[in-house]
Amino acid sequence: MSFIDNGISHLGKVIKTGYVQMELASEDGLFQRLDARIKVLFLAFFIIIVSLKKEILPEIVIALFVFSLTAISRLNLFNFYKKVIFLGFVFGFLIAFPSAFNIITRGEVILPVIHLSESYNLWIYHVPQTIGITREGMSVVIMLTLRVVNSVSLSFLILYTTSFPEIIRALKVFRAPDAILMVITLTYKYIFIFAKTVEDMYLAKKSRMVSSVNGKDARQWASGRITFMFRKTQQRCEELFKAMLSRGFSDSVRLYGFKRLGAPDWSAGVFLFCAGIIFLWI
Amino acid sequence: MHIPDGYLSPQTYVPLYGALFVFWAIALKKLKRELSAKQVPYLAMAAAFSFLIQMFNIPIPGGTTGHAVGGGIIAILLGPWTAVIAVSVVLIIQAVVFGDGGITAIGANCFNMAVVMPFVSYWTFKLISGRSENKKRIYAAAFLAGYIGLTVSAIVTAIEFGIQPLIAVSPDGRPLYAPYPLSVAVPVMALEHLLLFGIIEGVVTAMLLKYFIKHEPEVVFAVRGRER
Repeated sequence: MSFIDNGISHLGKVIKTGYVQMELASEDGLFQRLDARIKVLFLAFFIIIVSLKKEILPEIVIALFVFSLTAISRLNLFNFYKKVIFLGFVFGFLIAFPSAFNIITRGEVILPVIHLSESYNLWIYHVPQTIGITREGMSVVIMLTLRVVNSVSLSFLILYTTSFPEIIRALKVFRAPDAILMVITLTYKYIFIFAKTVEDMYLAKKSRMVSSVNGKDARQWASGRITFMFRKTQQRCEELFKAMLSRGFSDSVRLYGFKRLGAPDWSAGVFLFCAGIIFLWI
Repeated sequence: MHIPDGYLSPQTYVPLYGALFVFWAIALKKLKRELSAKQVPYLAMAAAFSFLIQMFNIPIPGGTTGHAVGGGIIAILLGPWTAVIAVSVVLIIQAVVFGDGGITAIGANCFNMAVVMPFVSYWTFKLISGRSENKKRIYAAAFLAGYIGLTVSAIVTAIEFGIQPLIAVSPDGRPLYAPYPLSVAVPVMALEHLLLFGIIEGVVTAMLLKYFIKHEPEVVFAVRGRER
C-alpha cells in the first residue's frame, strides 16, 4: 500500500470512529439516560477494581457484569465485542503470550515445545533444557488478557453511551481545572475538522497522480502539508480567540450547565457502587 | 508504546499520575503567564496539530512508511512546556476515544511521551545545535533530538514494565502485571527503538524542521533569535 493509501485509510478510521461514537451515544438505553458524572465515577471505580484483582475468576465475573450492562444499554453486542476482543487479543494476549514460556515465567511445564540437549546460561539469561508453556505462565497471560478486555469494555461502554464533551465535562467531579477540560473539548472538535482537511489533501494528491511518487518527493509533499496544517491551526487559534473575545470572554474559563442528579441517577449510582464493593471483596 | 490497562500495578500508575499532575500544573502556570487569555485556544490548536502530525504517513528511506510520535518536533516548534500539554491532550483523547493506551495508564503514557520525550528532545536539540547557524548542524541536531527523545522515552517505558515482576507478584511468585523482567523489557524496547522507530522519528523530526526553517523560520521556538 502506498503512503497515500495508508494515509487515507488511517484518516478514514479516525473520522469513522468519531462519528460512530456520536451516533451510538445518542441512542436510547439504560446507560445513555444516566448522568455523565455517574458514568465517569463508575468507570474510574471499576477500572481501578479491575486493576486490583489478582485472580482469574473475579475478572470473569466482572466481564459478565459489563456484558449485561452493555446488553441492557442496547448497544450492538456483536460490533461492541468484535472491537473489544480484537483489542484484548492484540494488547493482552499477543503481547503477553511469550511470557507463558518457561524462559520468562518459571513453573510446571504443561506443553513442552522444544527439547535441547542441555540447558544453557547466556549472561543473565537461563535457557532450560525443555522449553515449553508453563501453567503459571498461561495463568499470567489469561489474567492480562481478561484485564485488558475488561478495561477496554468498560471504557467503550461509557464512550458509546455518552458524548465525548459530556465525558470531559463530567471530569469536573475529580476537580480537573476548567481550562484543561476546555482545551480537551476544543481539541476533540478540531481534530475531526482538520482530519477531514488532511483526508481531502490525500485524495486530491491521489487524484492528480499518473505514476508513483518517489520517496524524496513524497517526503517533500508531506512536509509541505504538515507545515500548511501548522499555519492553519495557528490561524484558527487567532479566529477562535477573537470569537471568544467577541462573546465576552474575560480570561476565566468556567464550564456551567450541570443539572441536578435525578432519582434514576442516584439509584443507578448506588447500585453500581454496591456492585463495585462486592467485586472488591470477591 | 501506548501502555494498555492491566500492565502496570497501582504502585506504579498512581505515582506516575502524581508526577504528571506536577508537570501539568507547572506547564499551565508558565503558559498562562506567557499567553494570558489566549492559553485555551493556543493549547487546543497545538494539541490538534500534535494529533495531525501522527496522521501523516511518510515514506522512510528503505521502503517502509511510518508516522512520528511528534513529541520532539512539537517541543522544538512550540517549546517543551507547550508540548507537555499538547501531547498529553492527544494521549488522553487516544486512550478514551480510540482505545490506544489504558485509562489507568494515562499518567504513565503522558509521563513517557508528553514529559520525557519533549524535554529530552528539546535539550538534545539545544545541546547539539548550540547557537550555530550552520544548517547541517541544526538538521543533525533535529534528527538526534527525535531519535534520542523517542529512544529514551521507550527505555523509561521498558523500566516501568520491567519493575513489575519485582514489585507485584502473587504468593506463588507469579507476576501479577507486566510479566517481562528488566532483563527482557529494556533490551527489547531499546533495540527496536534504536534500530527502527527512533530512526523514523529522527528522520521525520529533521525533515519537518528543515521545511519549517526554509519556509517559516520565525515560528520555530527552539531557534528563535538566531540570525540567518
